[in-house]
Order: sequence, then C-alpha cells, then structure tokens
Amino acid sequence: MKSRLSRFLLRRLLLLFVGNLILLLLIRCWIKEGGSFRDVLARSGPDVAPVILAGLGMTGIIFTGAIDLSIASIVVLAGTVFGILVQRGCPPLVCDLACVATAWAFVSLNGWLVRRLRLPAIIITLAGLAFYRGLALILADVAIPNFAGYLAVQDEQFHAPGKMYAAWILLIVLATALLWERFAKTPRCWLALGNSAEACHLLGLRPERILQSAFLVGGIFLGVSALIYVTRVQAIEPARMALGFELQVIGAVVLGGTNIFGGEGCFVGTVLGAFFLYFVAELLIYAGVSPYFQEVIVGFILVVVIGLDCASHRPAKLLAELA
Amino acid sequence: MKRWLLPSLLLLEVIAFTAISGPRFDSLGTFIAYFQNYFRDLIAQSAPVLVLAFGMTLVIATAGIDLSVGSLVAVTACSMASFASGSGFWWTAVPAGLGVAALLGLCNGLLIARLDVPPIIATLGTMILFRGLCFALMGDLEKSPFLDVPGYEWFGQFTGAFILVAGIYIFGGLYVSHSRWWREILMLGGNRVAARYAAIPVTRRLCEVYFVMGFLAFVSSLCFTARNSSVSASSLTGLELHVIVAVVLGGTSVQGGRASIGGTFFGVLIIAVMEEGLRSATAWGDRHLPFKISHLEYLLLGALLVAGVWFRNSANTQRNSA
Repeated sequence: MKSRLSRFLLRRLLLLFVGNLILLLLIRCWIKEGGSFRDVLARSGPDVAPVILAGLGMTGIIFTGAIDLSIASIVVLAGTVFGILVQRGCPPLVCDLACVATAWAFVSLNGWLVRRLRLPAIIITLAGLAFYRGLALILADVAIPNFAGYLAVQDEQFHAPGKMYAAWILLIVLATALLWERFAKTPRCWLALGNSAEACHLLGLRPERILQSAFLVGGIFLGVSALIYVTRVQAIEPARMALGFELQVIGAVVLGGTNIFGGEGCFVGTVLGAFFLYFVAELLIYAGVSPYFQEVIVGFILVVVIGLDCASHRPAKLLAELA
Repeated sequence: MKRWLLPSLLLLEVIAFTAISGPRFDSLGTFIAYFQNYFRDLIAQSAPVLVLAFGMTLVIATAGIDLSVGSLVAVTACSMASFASGSGFWWTAVPAGLGVAALLGLCNGLLIARLDVPPIIATLGTMILFRGLCFALMGDLEKSPFLDVPGYEWFGQFTGAFILVAGIYIFGGLYVSHSRWWREILMLGGNRVAARYAAIPVTRRLCEVYFVMGFLAFVSSLCFTARNSSVSASSLTGLELHVIVAVVLGGTSVQGGRASIGGTFFGVLIIAVMEEGLRSATAWGDRHLPFKISHLEYLLLGALLVAGVWFRNSANTQRNSA
C-alpha cells in the first residue's frame, strides 16, 4: 500500500527528528554539574504529556479543517470541577473521572454546536475560549463559599495521575492512538473531509457526522490531557491556569506538518513537534539564556521554521493555481 | 431589520445597565449630564480598541486574521517607554514607536504575503515573538514616562480620542467605500486565485493591509499609554480577542470578502458598554448574585459572538433562498 504521508510530510518528520536529536545533544553538552542527562530525559515525558495528548486530539480536529481554540478554557473548567470535588471530599477516582468527562463533554459540545449552527469552528471555539473560562469562575464562586481565587489540592493521592503515572498514561495512549491512526478508517475520513466536503458527500460519507466524530475523539484525548495537567499543580486557579495552552498545542501540531486548513498531516508529527518546542525551551534554560529572552527565541524559531517551510511550498502552490 | 440590529442592541444594553446601576434621574439636566459623561468616557476608554478594530476589519476582509495585535500594541508601547521622558519624547520615542509598529506590521505582511504562511499561523508565531520582545525590553519593570511629556495626555482625553477615532472611521470609512483599493481587498479576500487572474497585485495589497494594521497599532498604543500612563511587558494580553469578537460581531465574515466598517464600530461599542456596565454593577451583583458579576463578562462575550454571527448567517441564508 502506498504511504499516505506525502513527501513534504516525510521531509518535515525527518527535519523534526534530526532537530530533536541535535537539541538533545546540545543539552547533553551544556548540562551543568550536578544535573544528570537521564533526569532530563525522564522528566521530558511527563512534562510534555499534556501538550502531546491535547495535540493528538487537536490534530484530528484540524485534519477535518476545523480547529478548537477553546481547549485551554476547557482544561480550566475540567480542573475547576476536579478541584471542587476534591474540596467536597470525593475519592480520587471519582474526581479523575469527573475531570476527564467534563473535558470530553465540552469538546463534544463544541462539535455539536459547529454541526448544528453551521458556523465556522473558529467562531464557535473563539466564543468558547471566553465562555468556558467564565463558566469555570462562576462555578467556583457558586460551589465554594468565600472562594479565594484558587482551589488548593494538597493531598498526594490526588496527584497520582500527573506525578506518578503521567509517562505511562502517555505511552499507552500514544501507542493506541498511533496504531489506531494506522489501521482505522475514521482518521482517513477526517483527512478526506479536510480535503473536500463535497467529495465526501458524493462518496456517501456524511460530512457532519465525520466532523462530529473528530470532536468526540478529540474530547477523549483532551480529557486525559486535562487530567495530567490538573493533577500536576498544587493549586487550581481558574482565572490564570493554562493561559496560552492552546497556542503551545497548535504550535506543536503545525510544526508537526499538519496543514492548518485540513486534509494533510499525521499524529507522529505532532509528537515530534511538541518535543521539539519543549527541548528548545529546556536548552535555553541550560544554555543560561535570560528568562526574558526565552520567549523571543521560541517565537522566532517557530516563525522561522514555519516561514521557511511555507516559502519552499510557494512555487508549487502558485503553479497548481494555474492548472 | 439587519441594519438596525446592532444599534438597537447597543441601546438595549445602555438602558439595561443604566437601570441597574445608573443614578436616579430627577430632571432632564441630570439625564443629559449623565449621558454626556457616559459617552465621553466610553469613547476615551474604548479608543484603542476602536482604532485596532478598523485595521482588523481590513485584515479579516482579506480572509486573514491578526492574532498578534495585542502583543504589537504592547511592544510599541514598551519601546516608547524605554525612552527618557520630557519634551524630547516627541521627537525620539514617538517616531521610534511608529517605526517599530510599522516595521513589525510589515513583517507580518511579508510572512503572510511573500512566504505564504497561513495568517492564523503567522500571527500566532509573531504574537509569541512580539510578547517575547516586550519581556526582553522591559523585564519585570513597569515604566511610566508618559505622564511628564507635555501635551501627551491629550490622546487619552475625550477630545483627542474622539478626533482620532472620528478621523479614522469617517475619512477611512469614506475612502474605503469609494476606492478601488477596497474593492480589490474584498476581491482577494473572496477569491485569491480569481484576484490574481484579474491582475490585482495580491502580494502587495496584503502587505499594505498588514502595514496599515501596524500603523493603527501605533495610534492605538498612543491612546492606551496616554490614558493608562504606564505599561509593563504583560499589558494588553487578550486584547486581540476583544478586537476580533467586535469585528466579527459587526458583520465581517471570517471567510473574507465581506466586511462592514460601521458594523465594526457598533461591535466595539457593544462590548465596551457591556464591560463598563458590568464594572459599575458590582454592588448590585454582590447583593443579588451568588458569584462576582464581573465573571459574567466572559459568558456574555462568548454568547454575544455566537448569537450575533448565527443571527446574521441565518438572515443571509433566508435572503439568498428567497
């Protein structure tokens, strides 16, 4: 069977893979005394797990040509539900399940709204970005008397998914997702929808259902991601938590070669992209760059990598317009 | 009816919030005085967003989007703040700010037009980059050289803000509705390939639009710094959301090719009235609601955006099918 990865995607994967290796090598060279390279490697999995998991869901959604800008607010909402249940004295398993279910439900709601209202996903989820954060704040205000702006989660047993099992959860979900992407029909349907909704319709596929399924599956990934994100922090602050998380995730997806307009991409790219951004940030810390300059450098690298890549596509795209 | 939707929504909002938290009007004089002040504050307060929203309307009309506006205004303000105060500020910091804003705007334009990066991705990257520049310039400091510059506070007062906003919307709006340039922008937003075949210089027009956005970001940063008088590296985060919501609410289509400058104006005011109303209704909210009323802002912002766009879309569909 012919690989469905285009030459462009393969080249991008190779670039990211080599880039990651070089970054690791540089970290190895610049690591200070007292720091161990194995620690860096062992820490990288859990640290980057929320971005990768949310990225897998986002990749599926972007395959169809939609996007979800509200994921950070949904993580906050799931975290708030988790925090409230912890404060009410629920057992850890119930809190964890409620967190995953909340995130899943709201991503699915986004999908349902996009389908029902027939509005662009970017509008619905831009509205969701504001709406869900407000909902989280109001929920916390109503459920906790004299809410002080944060929900403290002190007991260690509530931190198990994020602090002890994060790497394992990541490995299991990742392996399942990659196998599923390779052999299942649904991800191909998403890509097909991203290429042409009309062609899908003519082939007897149902575009609205395919779109909805992308959000349903994306919700599961985001649910697991939210669980890890939330259980890694000591205090959940609905007003400030996860600000800019959606940018990290979309950055990883796009860097991984997924076309932002849908129809092309792969899960592995997102994983490599997320690691690439993480290692760049780590390298800057080890290289002793002032924290104020780190954001400039990360932004610059993102712009340059994507800019050069798009520029290399330009002649082919312009020629295709003439055809 | 569509034409009256936004103004009537605005009026309804003003009436509702005045009923909740306004004073008791016992004569026509207090009534007029109250609304005079209200209007002056509203314009002065929302001038930065009004200015940016004009540019964003142009950007969205080309089927683009600019997520970096908040960071762009912040980096312009930060670069002006790193100059010394005094009367020399006018011929050192202000031209430098203009240069920075125009250059960075053009940088966005080149990325999008010359390198063919999708606008949402390009400006996502530059949003992070510009915010990083703010931190590189300012660190954790908060600077306020604007207070001691003679004549600078004019931009933050009603007169200055009103003249700037009216100038941009009336002259800009008139130019836009009568010019070939605007039609070319709309066409390239509607169908870029067709625009190329119609011999429209697509690359150049796109660069121009983002350049204008950069210039407007400079004007907006003047209004913002004159009113707030200090700036830090994390100022104005999330501003782009307000601007985009206002523009989309005003009836500009995110798919490009259709835009309304008057709609944008009302869109900004609706959001500004809502924010101000919620702020002044704090006491009422504490008595009647189990949560802080300011949190409602997020909910209303989201609901307003979806409802506005949905209503407009369904009205369009009805008209098309009729």
